[in-house]
Order: sequence, then C-alpha cells, then structure tokens
Amino acid sequence: MINNKIRYALVKGDKTYGQITDELLLNVEQKPPLWWFAGMTIGTILLAIGGWAFYMSLSQGLGTWGLTNSVAWGWDIINFVWWIGIGHAGTAFTIFFLVFRQKWAGSINRSAEAMTVFAVMCAGLFPLIHMGRPWLAFFILPYPNTRLLWLNFNSPLFWDVLAISTYLITSIMLWYMGMVPDLATIAQRTKNKVGKFLYGMFSLGWNGSLYTYSRYETLMKILGGLAAPLVISVHTIVALDFAVSVLPGWHATILPPYFFVGAIFSGFAMVLTLMILFRKAFNLYDYITEKHLDNIAHVLKFGSLIIGLAYVTELFTAWYSGVDYEIYTFFRARATGSFSVAFWIMFVFNAVIPQLFWFNKARKNLIILFLISIVINIGMWFERYIILVSSLAEDFLPSSWTHYSPTMVDIGIYLGTFGLFTCGMLMFVRYIPIVAVNEVKPIARAEKLRKQKAQDHEH
Amino acid sequence: MSTKQIIGVFDDESVLLKATQKLKENGVNIKGIFGPSADHDLIKKLTKESRLPYLSVATGVITIILTFAFVYYVSVIDYPLHYGGKPVFSFPPMVVILFLVCILITGAFTTFSFLTSEKMFPGKSAKVVHPRSLDDRFYLVLERNFNPEEIIQWLQDSGVEKIIEEENEA
Repeated sequence: MINNKIRYALVKGDKTYGQITDELLLNVEQKPPLWWFAGMTIGTILLAIGGWAFYMSLSQGLGTWGLTNSVAWGWDIINFVWWIGIGHAGTAFTIFFLVFRQKWAGSINRSAEAMTVFAVMCAGLFPLIHMGRPWLAFFILPYPNTRLLWLNFNSPLFWDVLAISTYLITSIMLWYMGMVPDLATIAQRTKNKVGKFLYGMFSLGWNGSLYTYSRYETLMKILGGLAAPLVISVHTIVALDFAVSVLPGWHATILPPYFFVGAIFSGFAMVLTLMILFRKAFNLYDYITEKHLDNIAHVLKFGSLIIGLAYVTELFTAWYSGVDYEIYTFFRARATGSFSVAFWIMFVFNAVIPQLFWFNKARKNLIILFLISIVINIGMWFERYIILVSSLAEDFLPSSWTHYSPTMVDIGIYLGTFGLFTCGMLMFVRYIPIVAVNEVKPIARAEKLRKQKAQDHEH
Repeated sequence: MSTKQIIGVFDDESVLLKATQKLKENGVNIKGIFGPSADHDLIKKLTKESRLPYLSVATGVITIILTFAFVYYVSVIDYPLHYGGKPVFSFPPMVVILFLVCILITGAFTTFSFLTSEKMFPGKSAKVVHPRSLDDRFYLVLERNFNPEEIIQWLQDSGVEKIIEEENEA
C-alpha cells in the first residue's frame, strides 16, 4: 500500500502560522520576477491586437467578421461559450470547499475564482461586440423606457444576459469577500505607503475578530450555497440558446447537461494548467501538492467519460430519431464530412486522451498532466466549433450551405481576450495571495493534529 | 469603570478555547478575540450563531414575489405581445428568471447586510490589537474590572504565551 500520510498531505511540512503567512504572501511582497514583465508585455501586445480588432468591428461594422447569412453565429459565439466554460471551475472549487467541505479545494479556490472572474469577463465581451453597437447594450435590460418597449422574457438570449451578469457579480462577491482577511494581513505587513492605503481601503476595516469571523463564515456559506446552483444554471442556459432552436445538431434535450459537463471539464483543465504553472513560479509545492493535482486529474477523467458518453449518445439519438437531417448532421457533416477533422480532434482530445488518467503514472507526471490539460482545452474549443459551425453551415437547405472561416478581425478579438486574461491573471498573482492564507491555516492545523494523533496511536 | 485591559496572547487555538471557556464560566467579560484565522470549532463554541441565513431566506422570498409581479406585469398586462403563437404568460421561462434574480439579489443583499452589521466599509481604518493578530497569534482581550490577579492566574494556568496589560484607549 502507498503510505497514506504522505499521499494525502494537503499542506506539507509542520508549518507554523507565521511560516504560512510568510510563504503565501511571497508573491505580493517580493519584486515581480522577470517572466512576469515578459508575460505582461505579451498580454499587452495581445490586448492591443484585440483593441485594433474591436475598433475595426465598431468603425466598419460586423462585415469585417467572417459571418455569413447562414453562419450568423461564428467565431464570436464559439469563443464566448469556450470562455464561459473555462470560467466554470472557479465557483465549482469554492462550492467544493464551502458547501461540500472538501478541504483540498481550500488552497485552489482563490486562483480558480480569479480565473473565473477574468474568463467570464472575456466571455461577456463577445456578445457585447456582436451587438454591433455595444454602447446600446443597456437596451437588453428591462427598464421603463421612452420607446415603450419591454423585453421578451421567453427568450433564452435574455436569460443568458441575466445568467452571465448574475454569475459574474456573484463570483466577484465570493472572490472579493474571500480575500478580505488576507488583504487586511497584507495591509498590516506592507511597508509601502500606497500599498498600505489601498490594501487597507479594500480590507474594509477587517480586524480579525472572532465575532466577525462567525458571521463571515455564515456569509461565505450562504454565498457558496447560492453560487452552487448558478454553476449548473449558467451553462445550461447557454446550452438553451442552442437547444430551443430547430436546427439539427442543436435541437436536443441532451445539450444542457452536455454543456454543463463540458464546462466543468474545460474549467478544471484550465485550473490544472494554471496550478502547475503557479506552484512552480511561486514555489507553492507545499500548498498545492501532488494530492491536489491528482484530485483534479480524477475529476477530469470522470468528466472525460461523461463527455464521451454524451458524444456517443448524440450520435445514437440522431440515428434512432430516423430524421434525415439529424442523421446527415451527425454522421455526414460531423463524423465523415467537411467537419470530420475537427470532429475527430474533439473526440480524441476530450474523450480518449484524458483516459490516460486512469494510470497512476500519468497522474503523477507533471509534463503529461500539463500537456493533457492543454489538449483538453483545445479539444473543448473544437467541440464548440463543431456544434456551432457544422449545424449552421450545412442546415436544411443545401442552396444556403456555405463555408465558414474567420477573418483577421475575428482572430484579433480572440487574441485580445487572451491578452485580457493573461494581464488579469498576472495582476492577480502580483497583488493578491494566490492561495487563501486564512483558509489554509485551519487546514494546516487540522493536518498537524491528525498527524500527531496518528503518531500517538503508533506509540 | 475600568481603565485598563488585559490581553492574553496565544499561539494555539485549543489553548485559547480552553482559557476562554474557563474565563467565561467565571464571569469575566470578554471584550474580543482576534486571530489570523478561525477554526470552525472555535467559532461554534465561542460565538452565537449568526442570523444572516434567516435574512437571506426572507430576501429570497421577497425577491421572488417582486420579480414574479414585475415579469407578470410586463408580459401580461403592459406589453402582451405574441411571439410566434407562444402564450403571453408561461411558467417555464419564469422559473429561470426568478431563480437568477433571486440569487443575484439575495447574494448582494446578504453581503451588504454583513458589511452593515459589522460596520465594515471601504476605507475604514482597522482597529487591530496587534499586527500579529492577523499573522500568527491569537489575542484574547479582557476587561480588567474583575479581579485582575485572578484573571492573570487563570490565564497563566491555561498555558498562555504572554500577558499584556495596557491602558484602554477607547
């Protein structure tokens, strides 16, 4: 048997609280390393490309995009769904931690939440630009107006607006409220006057009183509990955007659960990518241990199985329905026709390759973990591509069939969101503790007590 | 009234818990406990249960009623448009809207209530007992109007790390 005491360590080493504070605030207190500046430069360049594409879309109109009459949703909605999917993991981790009391999520949830916030921001940009006149975006909110119009509350597109804004706001609240005690700690320690002022301001006067902690614990549980159904609802509603239409390949009841699992899957993959990078960059090996990565790999393996099941089920229902259009979309266009390359990339990357995680060796090998986490996100991008483009480009009327390819402006906006995400995450790792200091302390203590107990038992 | 306070400094939660329980039993007035983190155990044994959950449930119910009234007013009374033969009022889309608005408003209102009840706001200067109370030590602040020698004796018996006696600034 494997030695459980080592295998299940969530915080390694007998650390005192002081040590934990010192080690976890390192990323805030030390000068940023060289790669940080390099990353920021790349991020800024990508943002500038995005800015150019955004300007082109606004000044010349959406004709600069690769959209056609048939493929009226293209690159933008693919990337929107892709980013929303990535944005799913953060809240999932917080819920694991707060609601299901999964202690291992405690040292990951802060950075996963940060990832969520930035990914959802990136996602939100796409529909906003797709409106063509983003400055009139407030038209989609239900407010009494001089045009005497109200919204169609039956439209999934309106639910989407509501779902994503609710998700973004709730995630920001969870993230921010979770870091208030840590901001107070930094405010006490920092020597920098500007830093002291800003951290002090954002720590809202937190003084570590146990009575405040009591209410705070309740608040976090309530927020976590409220966010739990949101995780399921957001991607379900995104799926409904497709599922309530009548296009073959979209009009299916399997879409909501399929999208939900896909979102958790891609989100966890992105968390895995980031965790491997962060623990190396900031020497967090004692806090983000092999156990954490192992757990994420298990979740991915499970997600991959369900995704694979969903792919096969889709094919089965298409065949079993006996509808020619469905059969065409799934068996001709997707599996063997003009989209077959993308289809098989999607299938292999999402449903086959992550099955390597059945092997202990694959889960323990950082390079394989890292590569598979990236492979999954590529696969998930292709999944959205397949769902969107194959159904739209080859629908009921062969006379309206077209070919879809993105333009430079499309690609520019996508790169721009990468810039936003990179810069956002880099700012996060520079100014906010990556691992929630106040949440890890009780975990470390529990670990220590358990170890002591085990030792007493042995003697 | 008391002009001084006694502060016990602890480096372990279980010692703090024992000491506090003993002092409480003997009727010493505890002004505050400050620390870098809070064990669930510590919170459960030393503080009253928060009433925030009742507030959130009430907020949720009120939000659902108001949102229902609003959506009903809009889609049935004020603007009954027919979209492709669908009914003006249908319940399934309502579920989605009520659910999301309920979560949004309840989450925001509960957070706001927490901040209000703790009198926390951006820019408030924190009254921190000692910088280490946010780092690695627990501070048990006691009123000195009891018998100070006795308090100090109890604290020492419990395994306190350090005892500080200071002027009460408040």
